[in-house]
Amino acid sequence: MPDFHPRIIGFLCNWCTYAAADLAGSSKLELPPEFTVIRVMCSSRIDHNLILSTFYRGADGILVAGCHPGDCHYGEGNYYARRRFALLKKVMETLDLEPERLELRWVSAAEGNRYAEVVNEFTDRIRKLGPSPIRTSTRL
Amino acid sequence: MAAVLPVGSDLSGAMNRFLKTILEKDIVDAVLMPMKVPSGDSFAWIIMSDSSIVDDAEAMAPVMPVQGARALRSLTRKGEGSIRVLALMRPCEIRAAIELSKLGQVKTENLILAAYDCPGAVPMDSFVSDPSSGEDLFRKMLAGEDVSAGEVKPSCTSCVEFSMTDADLHFGHFGLGGTEVLLIPGSPKGMEILEALELPADRETSIWDEAVRKRREKQVASRDAAFEETGENIRGVQGMLNVFADCISCRNCRAACPICYCRLCHFESETAKQDPNSRLDSAVTRGGISLPADRMLFHTGRMTHMSLSCVSCGQCSDACPADIPVAQVFSFVADRTQKAFEYSAGRNDGDPLPLRSFMKSELSGIHEMVSDAEPGGHAHE
Repeated sequence: MPDFHPRIIGFLCNWCTYAAADLAGSSKLELPPEFTVIRVMCSSRIDHNLILSTFYRGADGILVAGCHPGDCHYGEGNYYARRRFALLKKVMETLDLEPERLELRWVSAAEGNRYAEVVNEFTDRIRKLGPSPIRTSTRL
Repeated sequence: MAAVLPVGSDLSGAMNRFLKTILEKDIVDAVLMPMKVPSGDSFAWIIMSDSSIVDDAEAMAPVMPVQGARALRSLTRKGEGSIRVLALMRPCEIRAAIELSKLGQVKTENLILAAYDCPGAVPMDSFVSDPSSGEDLFRKMLAGEDVSAGEVKPSCTSCVEFSMTDADLHFGHFGLGGTEVLLIPGSPKGMEILEALELPADRETSIWDEAVRKRREKQVASRDAAFEETGENIRGVQGMLNVFADCISCRNCRAACPICYCRLCHFESETAKQDPNSRLDSAVTRGGISLPADRMLFHTGRMTHMSLSCVSCGQCSDACPADIPVAQVFSFVADRTQKAFEYSAGRNDGDPLPLRSFMKSELSGIHEMVSDAEPGGHAHE
């Protein structure tokens, strides 16, 4: 599928990964145009329905990224986020809804290079996976 | 060890007499149990303080019209009452009540939760259409006679938690030939009741244990078979679409669910409403979408919201007018999600709700990225 341009949504925590995205940008690192950033205050702000509706509304991949465990701006938000994420991933896995289209990563504000790596790698993965079956179904 | 309650001619009657006695002796102030409705085709939860009313009640009802935990929630959601109430319910209802107490919806301080060996329930629709056959069927189930699986509520045929819950008091009758009931205390509250009645808990329970174990073995096999079938049916987007194809979006499954207590469900909220053009965009880019919208989102969303507390009571299936096997799907998903967190819904063992707690180092296996990012394990650039 040479001309497939996925739609990828990145929910980035304001304090770490969003700042890392900023750093990557001002360092003029190359980032994929298919990746759309949505800033959230904390990775724990992401609830299941937000992820699921994003898939149902046509995302091919979703990346949630926040502060490293132990470094949450609010103390413990990312630990809760990790649990929720594990639950959601389990549900997607159980229903065989291609859980590899969903990813959680930790990227600190200082890790501009790592941010570019993570985003490029994830985008490549989704390009290879092709369009999400949720996006292409006409009976949803 | 357990105390013994002699049974005369009928099991339910003996349990009724026990409940009457504890009311008369002021050991509890009220009893919550099922009572047949005047039309005779269903049962309702009645909380009774007058012991003479107990005669008209039914300790073990053939059907489950309203999940008992919902009855308890309507009683105690604003706090515990000042009187002591004993609630006699099916094990799945007790388990749902324990989940709701963890969710702050049921206060158990002044409640004594009592359960019994449950032979399963008769599906609501078949009972309503023919109550007397339904009662005959339930009598057979209680006596341990073979009944065809199709006649029983589907979630009951694969229920493995039909006995010994974390109730305060348990009425065990499996394997005892209908001659006696074992009163098994599960907490200090249950023990106090036996002490107040001067019933010594000195009976060995091995015969009953063995009967429960045997039944569980059989149920586990039938549950595993059901899970395998469900797992195949719901695979992928297409599988989900096939299973939920008949959904009419009535959301009765949510209304009947004891765990879905939210006053404002996400799916009724402003957040769930979408701009018409965004729906139309979807229709144009996909070629078509189904309306009312978000049918699949509703079911998958509900799975993520309540599956960790799902007790597999099957009320969702009973409430579905389109005969979708909602309970089978949700039980299957719940089994997987609860195992992922080593959590078992309805246990009163001090385990907090999985989403309300965490450990600093955990879940490294869930995906590769978390493990490489443990605290201290990452290098700042």
